[in-house]
Amino acid sequence: MSINSAQTGAAQSQSPQSQATQSQTAQAQTNTTEPAPVRGTTVNKSQGGRRLENYLPPEGVPIAFDISGGGARLGAQLLDILITFGGVILLLFLLLWSNLLGWSAFLILLSLLFFFVRVPYYVLSELVWNGRTLGKRLVKIRVISADGTRLTPYQITARNLMKEIEVFTPIAMIFSVPDKPGYATALLMLWVVVVLLVPFFNKRRQRLGDMIAGTLVVDQPLTLLLPDLAQTATETRAKPRYLFDPSHLGIYGRFELQTLEQILRSPPQSPEQRNNVSSVTKTILTKIDYPETVNPNDQWRFLTDFYTAQREFLESRQLFGDARENKFHDVAKTAKTGADARFTPPK
Amino acid sequence: MTDTHATPPPVSDAIRSARFRKERETSWKRLDALVVEAEKRGVRNMSYQDTLALPSLYRQAMNSLSVARAISLDQALLAYLEALCARAYLVIYAPQESVRDALVKLFTQYIPQAVRNSALALAIGFLAMALGAFTGYMLFFDDPSWFYSFVPSGLSDGRTPEASASYLRSTLFDDNPRAHEMLGAFAAQLFSHNTQIAILIFALGIFVSLPSFALTFYNGLVLGAFFAMFAKAGLGYELFGWLSIHGVTELSAICIACAGGAQLGLAVLMPGQLTRRAALRARGRDAVCLVILAALMLIAAAFIEGFLRQTVQSTELRLAIGWGIGLGWLAWLILAGRSGDGSGTGGPA
Repeated sequence: MSINSAQTGAAQSQSPQSQATQSQTAQAQTNTTEPAPVRGTTVNKSQGGRRLENYLPPEGVPIAFDISGGGARLGAQLLDILITFGGVILLLFLLLWSNLLGWSAFLILLSLLFFFVRVPYYVLSELVWNGRTLGKRLVKIRVISADGTRLTPYQITARNLMKEIEVFTPIAMIFSVPDKPGYATALLMLWVVVVLLVPFFNKRRQRLGDMIAGTLVVDQPLTLLLPDLAQTATETRAKPRYLFDPSHLGIYGRFELQTLEQILRSPPQSPEQRNNVSSVTKTILTKIDYPETVNPNDQWRFLTDFYTAQREFLESRQLFGDARENKFHDVAKTAKTGADARFTPPK
Repeated sequence: MTDTHATPPPVSDAIRSARFRKERETSWKRLDALVVEAEKRGVRNMSYQDTLALPSLYRQAMNSLSVARAISLDQALLAYLEALCARAYLVIYAPQESVRDALVKLFTQYIPQAVRNSALALAIGFLAMALGAFTGYMLFFDDPSWFYSFVPSGLSDGRTPEASASYLRSTLFDDNPRAHEMLGAFAAQLFSHNTQIAILIFALGIFVSLPSFALTFYNGLVLGAFFAMFAKAGLGYELFGWLSIHGVTELSAICIACAGGAQLGLAVLMPGQLTRRAALRARGRDAVCLVILAALMLIAAAFIEGFLRQTVQSTELRLAIGWGIGLGWLAWLILAGRSGDGSGTGGPA
């Protein structure tokens, strides 16, 4: 298959999995032929959000991250401002109330604290908590290095220094410098707006500071292991009631299997959902031309059995090099060879 | 059911991928727990056994992910392993420097090396200031009314060309008791003002260094005009002392901030073999170190200005302190960070 695809070179949409498993092969190929950016990450927008794929740790197994949205980042930033300035003001009120310090010592402390909660706070917290300020921890996002290496103190300093320069200083100047001409205010506002819009015009959602430092902000990966449907099916029952032969199982591909998996993860509660299950069952029965009829009470059972058998079948086909992406796998193979090309041939 | 060609009924765990998952699930769960603990408490506070187990469990999970992608179509499993590996990766490849290590390295290596790497940029910074001062000085002697166009009214505080020599002297040797009280606060306030200027000078450097140069030049103009005014009143030497005690540090800091900006500007102007983005990233390392240095020097200058300038009243002592501190900076920047690998690349790799 890969030979075919290499000859025709038709670049089609690729599944994340096949892309991921093949990336090492592709890497070996590109290394010898052309100086292509081997470690380049890609951004996949197919599943709603933006997913950073082919992020290559030193172990050589590509992993993926969800790139954070603007709302989460803004929220984290506002929380940080609230926490730091709120904390400082609270501390100052306590000091004033307890009257421990003289007036001038108080003023010195005030300016030093207000200096500290700007750049140093962000640098120190991201350094200590590995790319997470308090606000980012609450919102569950974090900073990572864009090239698969560990974050360095330089990157953290650079991105936060740039944040000060990009946003905070201009905003402070808008409010603090008293008698400046109107066009200066307008220019500063324009600058702030442009800088805040920069992340929306590049695919990795990087600020200017992120670009200079080589970092980006991603969601903290959520580790949640749902039960294995095939496993639970075999644990609860000794034998499947419905049996399938290869002619039944050769119709569908990965996409349909995983769609069925999603359906099976939420057992029907309302009559409407039961209707959906029954229509899914009927569709499958017609499509695979199953010889038996299935009682409405047994539909869930049928789907579970079908899922288990279908998965086993597809997985064993995949082991033999016949990965079936979706129900069009036959058409794709006969009509246009190499439609599922995994990488473009070296020139 | 009637079909004789049906696939054989599953034995204990029929599906290969389900068996694969069942065999490894406990070690994944263990890794998950360890990662959560490491995120909460830090790797340093974990037990020896757990710390030892973490990287090997991580490698096993990475291995599992690689295999699962080849053999499993269980979406739940793949999603879980991807998230687990990504999260464990972030724990394993965390920044290795502690804050203390990073600070020690910053002071002993990165900053001095960055300064030594930035000869051209530093020359631009100091040249801007010197040219500005010279121009301001000459222009003032040409026509004192230039003073009003350079110096903002808030800064001059009554020290104008019309002021008497005795008033000017009193501003240099002030023992007004009210001043002493507020010195510290004044210093701190001055510091945040100066930092803002330094940050502005640095940031604008990205526009091919011209705005940085212009701003530093302007600072030089003010300085030159100020100096010329006092020199005309016969107080040049005294002013020199008054300025030296903190100005050596403060004006150098402004020049260094300008050099940081110039580094960015040079990267945009002369990227060499690199793309402009890569050049910006490469020179950015030195530039960031220069700005940190400038901020440090401004803190120091603010403290000197607040506590020493008006309490030390002798011009000779002021000169000695000011230039002594200047020599201290110079010695640190020239001598530190030369041992070891001696690569002098500046900035952490």
